[in-house]
Amino acid sequence: MPGLGTSFGRGGATLGPSDLVNSDAILIMGSNMAENHPVGFQWVIEARERGATVIHVDPRFSRTSAMADIWAPLRAGSDILFLGGLIHYVLENKKDFREYVIHYTNASIILPEEFKDTEDLGGVFSGWDAKNRSYDSNAWLYGACVGGGRVAPKSAGRHSGRHSGHCKDGAGAAADLGNCECDPTLSHPRCVYQVLKKHYSRYTPELVERFCGVPRERFLKIAETFCSASGPEKTGAICYALGWTQQSKGPQIIRAAAILQLLLGNVGRPGGGILALRGHASIQGSTDIPTLYDILPGYLAMPNLGLDSKNLADYVATHRDPTGWWWNFDKYIVSLLKAYYGEEAKKENDWGFNWLPRVTGDHSHQGYFLEMLDGKVEGLFVMGQNPAVAGPNSRLERKALSKLKWLVVRDMVELETASFWYDSPEVERGELRPEEIATEVFLLPAAGHAEKDGCFTNTQRLLQWHQKAVDPPGDARSETWFMFHLGRRLKEKAKQDPRPRNAGLSALTWDYSVEGTMQEPKVEEVLQEINGYQVDDHTLVTGFTELKADGSTACGCWIYSGVFPRPGENRANQRNSQDLWGHGWGFAWPADRRILYNRASARPDGRPWSERKKLVWWDEQKKEWTGLDVPDFARTKAPNYQPPKHAEGDEALAGDKPFILHPDGTGWIFAPKGLADGPLPTHYEGLEAPVGNPLYPDRQSNPAAMRDERPENRYASSPDDRFPYVMSTYRLTEHHTSGAMSRMLPHLAELQPEFFCEISPELASERGIENGGWVTVMTPRGIVEARALVTRRMRPLLIDGKMVHQVGVPYHWGSRGLVKGDSANDLVAISEEPNVRIMEAKGILCDVSPGRRARGKAALDQLNAHLGRK
Amino acid sequence: MAANPKISEDRLDALREEAARTGNVQDHGIVPVGGPFPKPASAMSYHGNPVLKPPTWTWQVPLYFFIGGVAGISALIALVAHLFGNAGMLRTGLWIGFAGALISAPLLIADLGRPARFLNMLRVFKLRSAMSVGAWTLAGFSSAVGLAVVCHELILAGYGNDFLLVLVWAAEIFAALSGLILASYTSVLLGVTAIPVWSENRKLVPVVFLTGALGSAAAVLELLGFLVPVTQFIGIVAGAVEIVIAIMIELRGRYVDRPLREGTVGWLTRAGAALAGPASLLLRLFSGHSSVARYVAAVCFVIGALISRYAWIAAGRVSSRDPQALFRIQRPAPNGIGPARH
Amino acid sequence: MPTSAFLTDASVCIGCKACEVACKEWNHIPDDGFEWSGQSYDNTHALGASTWRHVLFLEEKQPMGPQLAGIEEPFRWQFLSDVCKHCENAGCLEACPTGAIVRTELESVFVQHDICNGCGYCVVSCPFGVVDKSHEVGTAFKCTFCYDRQRDGLMPACAKACPTQSIRFGELEELRREAHERVEKLQDRGYNDAQIYDPTGSSVGGTHAIFVILGQPEAYNFPPAPEVPTIHLKSAWGAALVSALVVVLVVCLAFAL
Repeated sequence: MPGLGTSFGRGGATLGPSDLVNSDAILIMGSNMAENHPVGFQWVIEARERGATVIHVDPRFSRTSAMADIWAPLRAGSDILFLGGLIHYVLENKKDFREYVIHYTNASIILPEEFKDTEDLGGVFSGWDAKNRSYDSNAWLYGACVGGGRVAPKSAGRHSGRHSGHCKDGAGAAADLGNCECDPTLSHPRCVYQVLKKHYSRYTPELVERFCGVPRERFLKIAETFCSASGPEKTGAICYALGWTQQSKGPQIIRAAAILQLLLGNVGRPGGGILALRGHASIQGSTDIPTLYDILPGYLAMPNLGLDSKNLADYVATHRDPTGWWWNFDKYIVSLLKAYYGEEAKKENDWGFNWLPRVTGDHSHQGYFLEMLDGKVEGLFVMGQNPAVAGPNSRLERKALSKLKWLVVRDMVELETASFWYDSPEVERGELRPEEIATEVFLLPAAGHAEKDGCFTNTQRLLQWHQKAVDPPGDARSETWFMFHLGRRLKEKAKQDPRPRNAGLSALTWDYSVEGTMQEPKVEEVLQEINGYQVDDHTLVTGFTELKADGSTACGCWIYSGVFPRPGENRANQRNSQDLWGHGWGFAWPADRRILYNRASARPDGRPWSERKKLVWWDEQKKEWTGLDVPDFARTKAPNYQPPKHAEGDEALAGDKPFILHPDGTGWIFAPKGLADGPLPTHYEGLEAPVGNPLYPDRQSNPAAMRDERPENRYASSPDDRFPYVMSTYRLTEHHTSGAMSRMLPHLAELQPEFFCEISPELASERGIENGGWVTVMTPRGIVEARALVTRRMRPLLIDGKMVHQVGVPYHWGSRGLVKGDSANDLVAISEEPNVRIMEAKGILCDVSPGRRARGKAALDQLNAHLGRK
Repeated sequence: MAANPKISEDRLDALREEAARTGNVQDHGIVPVGGPFPKPASAMSYHGNPVLKPPTWTWQVPLYFFIGGVAGISALIALVAHLFGNAGMLRTGLWIGFAGALISAPLLIADLGRPARFLNMLRVFKLRSAMSVGAWTLAGFSSAVGLAVVCHELILAGYGNDFLLVLVWAAEIFAALSGLILASYTSVLLGVTAIPVWSENRKLVPVVFLTGALGSAAAVLELLGFLVPVTQFIGIVAGAVEIVIAIMIELRGRYVDRPLREGTVGWLTRAGAALAGPASLLLRLFSGHSSVARYVAAVCFVIGALISRYAWIAAGRVSSRDPQALFRIQRPAPNGIGPARH
Repeated sequence: MPTSAFLTDASVCIGCKACEVACKEWNHIPDDGFEWSGQSYDNTHALGASTWRHVLFLEEKQPMGPQLAGIEEPFRWQFLSDVCKHCENAGCLEACPTGAIVRTELESVFVQHDICNGCGYCVVSCPFGVVDKSHEVGTAFKCTFCYDRQRDGLMPACAKACPTQSIRFGELEELRREAHERVEKLQDRGYNDAQIYDPTGSSVGGTHAIFVILGQPEAYNFPPAPEVPTIHLKSAWGAALVSALVVVLVVCLAFAL
């Protein structure tokens, strides 16, 4: 998310799957799209039928590779090398879309002399604080900018609470970056373009072959093919998913793709851009209306104790940009507070700002599970999740659960997270004894998606309403019901207890109507609140442009504003598709713009780049932007508009600046702010790797990433004789994430009944493994057994002269269900990428040996014996 | 390099086989132009998995094949005995037929997946379905031989009259004709299926089953005391034919017949053939005067014929599991699809 | 009424098995047990009494047209959803002694499960190895062509679920035309081994489930030249007649001599 946010302005896919039919080339990397987005993949197939070339680069030959025109094997963890190689190719061969680059990106910005690249400093950028192992977040600003003035106050960069990667600051900066020095000829040695060139000068095809394992000819063929999908007549798209994000440098990998797409001029154009393939029906929705600790709805930052949380004015000052769309930041936070606290939110009490919680540390999943293990967490709600199987280092997480005082699990089945206390490998191994576990577990039945009203937001930012078809059985209830009635009862208790700590709870508006015998809250009312309304008469607003900072509007999530513009008009529930992009079907945020930054689909003068690739253009007669999509741009701002001095907000952006969330309106090839680990993607090896970093031997892995090393969470060395193979976890089509919803259903369970791992014939022959046999897989974290699927689809790669084997490990099994198996996440470490705190599950080191593992406690002995080897 | 390899048609055949199997031939002087050749399409299959489904029939079915055959031919023997004035064989033959018919129906019904619905067999009559023909034949045969037995016993008990005489002849003729069908339709039942070893032997299996039925009927008569030239003659002919069939199967060496020659089923086939063929024949030829020898010969034949029924069903099961058995008999047309050349 | 047909196209199948699941869900078919096969991603093994759509996974050492996949040697992975062929001349229908198997007004081959008594003759009469007897229920089952759905104007569940339109449902002649066009298009693009599997030239007389495949039929366990077994009726009964006559002769001789 911050990868896209810092590059373009918003942390979301720039196009939807159906737009892929307009692509001339599609690069799928860090993704197994056919496997995990089979319905969305129909558009890739359609694109192919229309002549597009589909390229898949992946450690495995998967179901996506089978449908691609070109496949290349890749060493897991070497994605930035590969993408950097493509960037190098574009720059060396002058394949960039020059006009686009000059006008729409910050390639021409001249960086200050103080800025030093990794090539200058042997693997880090200027601003590296070795003691705190973090960067000064102001180190890469454009510097002394003409006509600027305000310098960004220190934000969450250096703090024990660490940087919030998800919030808008991952998208933009609270600094005045407009009107900086630039060189439109792109030849100044310190202009971004030249700095970029220098940064990637060593990412040659030879290096790619030597350290990614991609044969040179195959790499050049891919480079040639993809980079020619560029220019006025052609576009190319990149699709990625967790193959990129589950790495210790995930956002940087995405940044590399973003840079490539900006150079090729593909962003904001039909068939171009980056499709972030988010998994799960509503993962996009769960960051928009977030279940993440560090953001508020609409990617506003959660206040951070001691940094920006003293009062609302400070907070707004930290996060509001003087130029660009985030100038409206105050309108969104105030409207959100009014939605939360209703009448209790008044100007005098900062609209209730002080009732919001403050970030005081690492409250991420990894963070609190580690604290849980140390006995610091009393209780936990687990709803629609199964950390006992799907959490990184699931052994550690299961043990951590045993330290809770109480645990509430809401799900449709009794999954491993609820049964850990009597039915887990730890119990089998004697590490946990049920009689010694004091956790009180409440297992509550949950309603399925057809048993409740609600709304999904899927990967293309599309809100789709789903209607309740049947009542849930017995005591099963929806999440809305649960949270609403829980909140209602807590509020009632709070009424009896007037201490200040309960003031915020009491102030919350909680007045949704309920209906039916089950007293189910009316979800449409929630959606209306999310859409926003005028406080005085509750008239619904038609979009976020109507929101104000004076407390007269309320809005639960500004980016969703417009989904319910009038009573009875639930746009998420509309099913009347008018065109290829689906206008009339559902509501895409923001404002039903299907392709983001679509101003870039027109030339600086407002005419489309070409007839073939037209999307949005300037209508000289009507003096407004028009076209096939809702313009992601101020509708009446002329293409030749030049902002007056001291203009604010969107008015400070010229008429040829498509990336309106950025304070300078350009796409950021160089990201001056927003990421904790660098303005330009740099190749580092993973936290465990089979080779040293070829570029920077002294900087093996991402210096800003966190390992959370402790006895239960150990790492292999890089390389490690005990763990010579490179593995990645992944999903299969037939199962769903932790398997709680698929291992329990016979029709799915029978499709992939056993935990297996994918091994090349060479590795099988080397270790005496037969197809259909059993293998034991070990990492410093855990030991599992799986069936061996020996297949040509896995292949060893020649990396720096030595044979590196890769192993594929799907992660769907647990100790319960119609089909059971060991959990692959027992092998994965808890680690935290510095921006989003996601764990590295791709490209970790393991050992694979023939035969089943020992049973019970002996399994741990087997693992320890292996660890003890030298 | 083989020193002086025998130049012969066999050698050429062996080379052809090797070429077809491996796409390459290793031998002195052989440098095929354009080699190594791609494997013939028929060498591949989907993971070696079976194409066809194995027969679902249980132990009752081969037993029924045997008993139905004995019953049917017994009725024929009874008729011919009647024509030649042999009252003893007439009566016993009819009773064997009747007993066989009584056992047959329950056997078949027990094998059905839904036995309670056995009468559905008589919902329609489909000439093109050997099983439909068989169901109706069994029904007809059972009725006819039952009627014949009742009439015959009535006549024997003194209640005979012209009507009964006509009736008994009609019943015997009908029983004999339907008995022949009963004894032979089961071979058509197997032959007109997709199972390679059955369909490719559709002209042989009738011979096998009828010979077995004939010899077994005679053997049963012998075991019931009819140690007479008629049964000896039939026994010798049946035994001789069994030997010829067995030799044919061994020598023909066709891929599709492998289940009959290899593995457990191959040994079962040979055991059945050995007992019904040489064992019973030799006993008859060289000790035919001794009643013990004839009893033993009869028992050998009966057991051999019974085993052979099980072997043929089992062979069908094995054959259904081998995709190559199916592919090789289909000799695809150039574009991969099209009519097989028979 | 137009003749219902399926066109299943391997070139756009992504092996997702939505067809298998949709079929089982709609028809309330039980699972087949939970045994892992080690045969690529195919744990379904084959069509049978409780599997009416089966997705095949072929890993082959051959190129897929112009695809750049293999590195040192050619390689491809392709998928196809198999189904009952609903033959024009159906072996199962011919064999059925109870009349349970009939041809519907949609020209599909349908097993009336309340009439079937489980004699098992259809099982050995199918040249494609499709229909089978359920051990739990005792009667024969196979794809119904979603007769119930079609009667209500819906398309079969598998075709509905298929995300890439690999399974197309429609009128037979139209789908045959589409198949020809598709194979031509594929061959133009360099998929030299693309072909149609629709045995119109054999005694089966063509099927109502036709396929676009890449490579030889045998690779999919499709019989290259399937025949409806009843073409053997004449020769089999002929041999039986001759043998029966010989038996009569031998018996007569035995009494005469």
